Amino acid sequence: MRAIIFSWEYPPRVVGQLSEYVRALTTQLAINKVDVNVVTYDDDVTGLTQESSGIKTIRVSNPVKTHIGVLTWVLTLNQEVERAATNIYYDTGKKNSLIDVCDWHFIPAAVTLKNGLDIPFIYSVESLEDHRSPTAQSSYNMAIKSIEWQGFYEADMINVKSQWMKEEIIRMYNVPPEKIAVVSTSSDTWISDILRLYNTVLEIR
Amino acid sequence: MHELSVLMLSWEYPPRVIGGISPHIYFLSKHLVKQGIKAYVVTCDFPDAPAHEVIDGVEIYRIDSYKNPSPDFATWVYLMNMNMQKETAALMKKIGYKIDVIHAHDWLVANAGIGLKHIFRKPLLVTMHSTEMGRRDGLHTTAEKMIHETEAWLTYEAWKVICCSDYMMNHVKYVFGLPNDKLVMVPNGVDTHNYAATIDYQTFRSKFALPEEKIVLFVGRLVYEKGIHILINAVPKILSKVNTKFIIVGSGYMKEQLLNIVCSMGLEHKVLFEGFLDDTNLMKLQKCADVSVVPSLFEPFGIVALEAMAAGSPVVVSDTGGLAEIVEHDITGVKVYPNNPDSLAWGITKVLLDESYAQSLRVNAYRQVQEKYDWEKIAQDTKRIYENVLREYSKSFWA
Repeated sequence: MRAIIFSWEYPPRVVGQLSEYVRALTTQLAINKVDVNVVTYDDDVTGLTQESSGIKTIRVSNPVKTHIGVLTWVLTLNQEVERAATNIYYDTGKKNSLIDVCDWHFIPAAVTLKNGLDIPFIYSVESLEDHRSPTAQSSYNMAIKSIEWQGFYEADMINVKSQWMKEEIIRMYNVPPEKIAVVSTSSDTWISDILRLYNTVLEIR
Repeated sequence: MHELSVLMLSWEYPPRVIGGISPHIYFLSKHLVKQGIKAYVVTCDFPDAPAHEVIDGVEIYRIDSYKNPSPDFATWVYLMNMNMQKETAALMKKIGYKIDVIHAHDWLVANAGIGLKHIFRKPLLVTMHSTEMGRRDGLHTTAEKMIHETEAWLTYEAWKVICCSDYMMNHVKYVFGLPNDKLVMVPNGVDTHNYAATIDYQTFRSKFALPEEKIVLFVGRLVYEKGIHILINAVPKILSKVNTKFIIVGSGYMKEQLLNIVCSMGLEHKVLFEGFLDDTNLMKLQKCADVSVVPSLFEPFGIVALEAMAAGSPVVVSDTGGLAEIVEHDITGVKVYPNNPDSLAWGITKVLLDESYAQSLRVNAYRQVQEKYDWEKIAQDTKRIYENVLREYSKSFWA
């Protein structure tokens, strides 16, 4: 099994909690013999690095440096994420890969790769725009929510860390409950639950 | 060997017409089909236009371009590209990936073109119809810099960059630092058949001008780069010599300012702002015009001048950009100094006062349009570029 993890933060780049979650996830996946590829953003440390654990990290930078806001920044960066994932797909024989996209930033790339190359994807939710900016209803916030909606709609499965988050997604986005898996990071069976989820998605395909 | 196939990406295609890219894609794709190429056009939606249709053999796909709320125009462009890319990726899968080249038009489809190139590992060509640096006469805001960098990224990713004039080739080479062998010039075209219909000139022109008035026509967006303010400043000078009606077709952010200037000169009865006209009425007006004027400050090509020449209207143009290449002074039109109302007034008056001179310009211009700017020839040139790119591509590890 090959997992391509999309995350806008990964050590040494730490913005919030996502970075450490992805670090723990990739470490455990590598221990469990999964071919782990992380595609992440870093303007300073770009290119491919491979750790002794087997984790391969491709750090991409934004091809457009000047931006009017986070949305345009994210959308141009998505092209580089997509390019990196495409190279993994072609270089590894096009088979047995899935994408785990962590939070909304790289949903556009995952959606296009699913539609064009049939690579399944899981949308792992760290947080939602509705919770981050609960009172904000500007077109900027609405655009982010529309990308999150696209993630829920297009993903093969959705991965959340709590029952509360599952219920919030059902309440706000009307997602079918059976499409959402609750995988608690504090559970003893966390990584085996993740592997079961990954296998389920690959079997669907 | 299967027929060569091209996927064109454009933010406009008829009936969605915002600028010159829409007719360009319409005629180019239609004539590429006549050259034996399978052509797909993916473009933005438009009210009452179907999501899929076949026009003159070209497969047209219109995407939902307003799917996501967006705070401003530039962000809308990137969000639209996200949807264009996704829907085109699904289309590629549906048609069995049978696309040989991807041809993107301007930065407005940059993300989609670049993304699709990498996903499907197909060569990307781009036609740069204009640049942000040229449109804005420099880069002054964050948004302008972002668009400029997006254009640079698109030309970097492209196998070949097509420009519509030698002027534009030099401009693009300088602005983005591109190597010579990446650039290729293919002019824009005009369909002379569209102007072949005969009309009742007297009845039609009487809607705009008195029989004793000459008609000077401006067609274009009412924005700084089009130089419409220079024509307005030249109006009193021309009126002092020739009884003329000035007809302004188009709209833009300068309209109110221009109306105020015309009012302050007391010339509302001599300068008519017509807004947008449909194609049929515009062609009739072009055929009736005693002079068509293109006073642009920045003009990568100047399709309006070419259309006027095809309609048989003498042209007076700024000696700049693509216009300087289209028009041969005193042979196919009159060239005047850019940004100079005195020179513009001189050129327009010269044509209006000398009917035999105007007639020679009409005849020569029409002949040149037929010889150099015919869509069939342009499609042949474009096909040759596709074939050359595919020959190079076949030696790459992507092939």
